[in-house]
Amino acid sequence: AAGSVGSVVRRFLAEYGSGTSSRLKVLDAYLLYVMLTGALQFGYCLGVGTFPFNSFLSGFISAVGSFILGVCLRIQINPQNKGEFQGISPERAFADFLFANTILHL
Amino acid sequence: MAAPGRRLCLVAVLLLLLVGAQALAPSHHLTARDLARLRAALERPFTDLQAAYYSIVGLHSLGLRVADEKAACNFVKSHVDSSSDDSLFYAAQSIRVLSGCEVTISNETRELLLAAVSEDSSITQIFHAVGALSSFGLPLASQEALSALTARLSKEENVLATIQALETASYLSQQADLSGIVEEIEDLVARLDDLGGVYLQFEEGIETTALFAAAAYKLSDHVGTEPAMKEEQIIQLMNAIFSKKNFETLSEAFSVACAAGSLSHNRYHLPVVIVPDGPAAVSHHQPVLRLQVTNVMSKPLTQASVKLDYAKSASTKATVLQQTAFTLSGEVFELNFMNVKPASGYYDFSISVDGDNRFIANRVELKVKVSTEVGITNVDLSTVDKDQSIAPKTTRVAYPAKAKGSFTADSHQNFALSFQLIDVNSGADLIPHQTFVRLHNQKTGQEVVFVAEPDSKNVYKFELDTSERKTEFDSASGTYTLYLIIGDATLENPILWNVADVVIKFPEEDVPSTVQSKNLFVPKPEIKHLFREPEKRPPTVVSNTFTALILSPLLLLLILWIKIGANISNFSFAPSTIVFHMGHAAMLGLMYVYWTQLNMFQTLKYLAILGGVTFLAGNRMLAQKAVKRTH
Repeated sequence: AAGSVGSVVRRFLAEYGSGTSSRLKVLDAYLLYVMLTGALQFGYCLGVGTFPFNSFLSGFISAVGSFILGVCLRIQINPQNKGEFQGISPERAFADFLFANTILHL
Repeated sequence: MAAPGRRLCLVAVLLLLLVGAQALAPSHHLTARDLARLRAALERPFTDLQAAYYSIVGLHSLGLRVADEKAACNFVKSHVDSSSDDSLFYAAQSIRVLSGCEVTISNETRELLLAAVSEDSSITQIFHAVGALSSFGLPLASQEALSALTARLSKEENVLATIQALETASYLSQQADLSGIVEEIEDLVARLDDLGGVYLQFEEGIETTALFAAAAYKLSDHVGTEPAMKEEQIIQLMNAIFSKKNFETLSEAFSVACAAGSLSHNRYHLPVVIVPDGPAAVSHHQPVLRLQVTNVMSKPLTQASVKLDYAKSASTKATVLQQTAFTLSGEVFELNFMNVKPASGYYDFSISVDGDNRFIANRVELKVKVSTEVGITNVDLSTVDKDQSIAPKTTRVAYPAKAKGSFTADSHQNFALSFQLIDVNSGADLIPHQTFVRLHNQKTGQEVVFVAEPDSKNVYKFELDTSERKTEFDSASGTYTLYLIIGDATLENPILWNVADVVIKFPEEDVPSTVQSKNLFVPKPEIKHLFREPEKRPPTVVSNTFTALILSPLLLLLILWIKIGANISNFSFAPSTIVFHMGHAAMLGLMYVYWTQLNMFQTLKYLAILGGVTFLAGNRMLAQKAVKRTH
């Protein structure tokens, strides 16, 4: 069983490396960064307590929000999903992403 | 004896002491003091003709005369204005009341007054004109006046106008059919406001209510019909009118005076006021119950016959006296109640006043107190041995002497006290409300009070058992002075008697705690404010470590991007691109400034500007990129 999980993971990584465009990989790296930041914050809170709670909330929600917006951008940019987003060009998706991020962090 | 005033058979209850009233008591009337105040208000020097009218006619209603009639007459004659209806009315009424005052009326004046009696004048004008004509003794066309009045009444619906119409009608000839106006009395009664079932008054105020009362009776007397008011309503009107004891304006005083006058002298209803003279209490020293029976102006009704219907004991409800007449002594009605030798206590008296069919509120119930003096007899002090082995030693003491020697109460003997209370005058046993035994510690100032209870034979007993009572005494042994306190509302001689000294010894095991007098007025211990403790924070090292840790994913990101080969070679230096990137960077910078300094509104302002610029530039840039892409 461990072996099959390991082989699945390896297969997935191989396919990922070849199948996704570099643009998407850049975006994925960004998403990974955001997720790690959020996870670290959460872990810190678990470790040392929730004081000051405001700081934790703002940091965590910022991470989560950014992650979500990033995911949306990725979905919209992916050429394989072009059928579902007829009227929205990748540029437009990117502009939306920037705008939404600004509002989030306001 | 049944009179129209009594046909409703209400029982009126008296002002001072109420006993389960079902119907209404006259709660206010003009006492002698009120009358003096009213008189003083009316006897002010005249400022103008209207003031003179109020004073002169007001005092006349009270049955008083103006101090200097000649001067008043001259004042009126000199101040009258022959061209004004109001002025002529005031003058006419004043002159009619003053004795020896005559005036001649010119033809023009007469024409003026007659012309005012028409449908085009207001009711006030008609009232004044008719009143003036009638008081000057000039002929008046009653039928014409009546029709003018009726026509105006349908147009002017307010209370004051209707009251003035009533007054006007009282000057018209009886041959005219005044029943339409008389019906207005009933309508006005319906417009009175009932306040708590005690007062009945117009919302316009006491003055209007008083004027109504005066006008209603004046018209009723003139026409010969009883006013359509129930006895209860009349009493409520009375309460309202005479509740005002201070008069702000002369017209108010005048209205109350007129009302008082009409309620004391009219053909139909005379409210009777029955007030005890002094407290309603009798005793052996003061065996006579005195009553003042007066009309609303506190004038004694010496012609009336006052009778006691019954006198019942409040506690046993047994009738001790009935159907006895009060005798008139001077201006007060008296009855010697002690003749029937009543036991002490409270009695319910039902008193009725007759003698005139017009009397209303002439039955009252009164609570009378009969007091007596108490005597203490058979006072026995004894020490009773707990084991019953030794016979109790009894000492008899006579009031007010003090027992010689002291008595001891300790662990093997109790102290006992017994006595009897009798009514000195009748010899009957008494059970007063307060029969206390007070023990006062001479050294510590402590005192403990017990209640002595009577047994079935009305002998009071008190026993002190040291083991049972040690909590009340705080186990403080010592010499206590014993007092006997007897008191009651119906006793004329309450008793505080130092009977004896009692030495109380409590068992030694309970050492008495020093008795602390509870001083309430020393400063209390200071309360220290507990500030909110700051929350526990992790040590700085940990926080700093974590901050560094948080930045590590950023590093990872950069490495990954480089590894993936983020494509920045397509960066065109077109102006829109530069503007876009600058604008975006500026927006990020604004975010930082927002975090440190600005509030949201300022930020929104700057953001709008920067955002607009960035958006336009970005739009262009992305459009260009799109074009490039599709090519």
